[in-house]
Amino acid sequence: MKGVGVKVESSNRLSVEVNDKSILVNVANELKGKGFDHVKSITGIDFPETRTIQLVYHISSYSDPELAKVILSLKVSVSYDEPEVESLYRVWPSVWTPERETYEDLGVIFRGHPDLRRIFLPEDFEGVYPLRKDFKVKTEGLFVDKRA
Amino acid sequence: MTSGLEGMLSGTGMEVEVVPVEGELNVGPQHPGSGHMRILVKLNGDIIEDVDLDVGYVHRSVEKLSENRNYIHLIPLVERPAILDSIHMNLGYVMAVEKILGVDVPPRAQYLRSFAAEVNRIASHLYGMGILAVFMGHSTGFMWGFGDREVWVEILQALTGARVTNSYIIPGGVRRDLSPAIKEMTEKGITYMRRKLEDWQKIFINNPNIKARMQGVGVMKREDAIRWGAVGPNLRASGVYYDVRKMEPYAAYDKLDFEVPVYKEGDAYARTLVRIEEIEQSMKMLEQILKEIPEGNILSDRFFRQIPPVRLKKWWEGQRRIVMPGYYASFRPPKGEAVSRVEAGRGELLYYVVSDGSSKPYRLRMITPSYRLIYVFKELAKGCRYADLVTVYGSLDYFPPEADR
Amino acid sequence: MWLSSIAYYFFYPSFFIPVIFPGLIFILIALLFTIWAERKFAAKVQMRFGPFYASKRLGGFLQLVADMIKFAFSEIIVPREVNKTLFILGPILITGFSLVPISVIPISSIPQTGSILSPYYGVFHDTYSSLSLFSAVLTPYSLALAIALTSVVSVLVILTAWVTNNRFAMISGIREGYLSVSYDALITISIIGIALEFHSLDISKIVTAGIPGIIANPLAAIVFLIGMLMGSSRFPFDITEADSELVTGPYTEYSGLLFVMTMAGSYILNFAYSLIFADVFLGGWTPLTGFPGALLTVVKAMIVLLLSVFMRSVYGRYRIDQALRGSWKYVFPAALASVILGLVVGPWIR
Repeated sequence: MKGVGVKVESSNRLSVEVNDKSILVNVANELKGKGFDHVKSITGIDFPETRTIQLVYHISSYSDPELAKVILSLKVSVSYDEPEVESLYRVWPSVWTPERETYEDLGVIFRGHPDLRRIFLPEDFEGVYPLRKDFKVKTEGLFVDKRA
Repeated sequence: MTSGLEGMLSGTGMEVEVVPVEGELNVGPQHPGSGHMRILVKLNGDIIEDVDLDVGYVHRSVEKLSENRNYIHLIPLVERPAILDSIHMNLGYVMAVEKILGVDVPPRAQYLRSFAAEVNRIASHLYGMGILAVFMGHSTGFMWGFGDREVWVEILQALTGARVTNSYIIPGGVRRDLSPAIKEMTEKGITYMRRKLEDWQKIFINNPNIKARMQGVGVMKREDAIRWGAVGPNLRASGVYYDVRKMEPYAAYDKLDFEVPVYKEGDAYARTLVRIEEIEQSMKMLEQILKEIPEGNILSDRFFRQIPPVRLKKWWEGQRRIVMPGYYASFRPPKGEAVSRVEAGRGELLYYVVSDGSSKPYRLRMITPSYRLIYVFKELAKGCRYADLVTVYGSLDYFPPEADR
Repeated sequence: MWLSSIAYYFFYPSFFIPVIFPGLIFILIALLFTIWAERKFAAKVQMRFGPFYASKRLGGFLQLVADMIKFAFSEIIVPREVNKTLFILGPILITGFSLVPISVIPISSIPQTGSILSPYYGVFHDTYSSLSLFSAVLTPYSLALAIALTSVVSVLVILTAWVTNNRFAMISGIREGYLSVSYDALITISIIGIALEFHSLDISKIVTAGIPGIIANPLAAIVFLIGMLMGSSRFPFDITEADSELVTGPYTEYSGLLFVMTMAGSYILNFAYSLIFADVFLGGWTPLTGFPGALLTVVKAMIVLLLSVFMRSVYGRYRIDQALRGSWKYVFPAALASVILGLVVGPWIR
């Protein structure tokens, strides 16, 4: 299939890289036809140097005993200027929670998701995306009590 | 309420906002039956129409904090989300790091990892059944669940030094070794638990009151379980044969002989029966481990060589305890990424670690079983009666801090 | 000499029964004892100690006294948007109306001579059963009156739930409304069966008929027992105060002394029902008379009370629709059958 690159890393880890994010739903439907029936997680990795966010979907199968040993990573990249991608909710309903979490942490908008809201963060995190690298967590230094 | 009644009552201080037949009920964080989250329930009479889970009250942002800590400093952080089940949280993370580092684990350490994991699985299931019992008003089940859990937590304390959040597993092996006292404690614990499980059957599992509350409640069909992404005993109670210990064996599970209970009905009663049988299977595995454990070192040689001989003599020969080798202070693994998964007490736990060659991980992703049950909980509660909300909650064994991480 | 007149007024049944024994003072002590026994039984089953440290030699009994004192002195918080009079009146009415049935139930019979109660032989003579009764209010319809008075309490619980102005309390008030219809029907019909069998509504005639009700009509006994468990919110019918779904039900907003009164109210209602059970079904005060007879009746009632309180360690809680379906589908026909049994067996009991 055009626009995808497949890499086999070990006996039960594969990765499929999608170069064009508009064919994501077609690739997903192909994989669903082969027997992959649920998504375990969506990870968003932030690369500030190239101004892209890479989304990694980990997909596996419950019903097919051979494919159940395999975890397939489906990778797609979005850029900071257009952080939108098509939601895979119609293909696999199990992406409901991870898509909401990636939306609130990194600012990736999933078009077509029935209920895209914040899920874990409190109300004052509107517009701030904590998992991006430019959001620094203030760490305290190490204090050593001289008397102890 | 008719308007005539409102007219009569106005001015007396008794105009109450009577909840109409369709209304919203906030089973909020300050509620005995809600745990650490808010459940917004849309009620129509006594039937629940929709449930909106407002999770995130215990969100500690483990994933963001992990970008500021070394790999070894992350071990205590990563095992805190589900403190009852911390051996599994620990194990999954360390397996991912070992894949990146390329370290082999000696066989005795693999058996010890399985030992601790199975003891922790029994403790976690007993906790889950205690919570389920108290949600249904059965205080005896609650006290027995926590009382019997003491037996197993004491074994973990003797083995690792802490009751919960043990930090027992390190890259390359484990930290402490078995001793004959622990073997005896385990054997006594197994006899006690087998006797107690018969009492559990009489008072809780075969109690007609409890059976009436749980049978036919929260039924999850097989296709729905697969589509929604359910995990753990909830999946196995709906007829799907899926257990990470059989699909992708880790630690010593490929050498142990055990069965995976699968039920077809998919209701709350089947989920509880799966958990009870898993306790029995775990005890069988513990007996096999105690018989078959091989001799050998408990830390991989690559790290064992780096412990200075003075400290080795004091701790290792005296008490069979590992002190941290110098390599751990801040090691830089090679560039790469790894995905590892374990079967925790509540379901499948997935770790995805991305390393860019520095001493802190570039990205750590942790998918806990309760995280994946958020959507399942939301879908299962539709159509139940209001009193079944807590039954569904307890039978899914949903643990809010684990979902929020 | 004036001592004997004080003794006359002290032991006068209309004063002695409602205030001292088995009325207010005895009930408060028996309440502490019952709650202590409930916690100790549950603890024995659940592999723990229960109340222990407060008074080790007494088995922890003084822990309950300490709890009561703590509650009595806690602050009473009245929410802003409720009707204050009714809010405070609610629990008081519940406790009060739970105590009232005790005054119409005869506890013992007064022999003509030889007992401390003999001075009242003429005053409390019941011509209908030709006995003198140790009862606060003498009436030939004591059974109907007792049952009627105990069924008022459920309306007061709904009032308490309504005045709390809280959604959880409303849901539990609705549940109490549904339940009260079912258990009142069960209790009333089983009592009708007993009344038809013994040909009278006077408890003293039922007691002195010679056969305890549990042997004459066991169906009515079972139906009354189940109705009693439902009416006083004992497990497995703890549905109005379902802890894990509705935070304490109608008593959510109560604190301090009012909260103690609501808790006490449900136990006192249970005691009133068990007095009726002990008199009608377990033979009351026979074969003793006088003051020892009263003691015997109260001991039997306490045994029934402890039995219904023990259910906490064994059962969970039913759902409202399961409780309703069970009571209308299975127990209600049994109640009707007990009426028929009463009609059939009646002619032999003359």
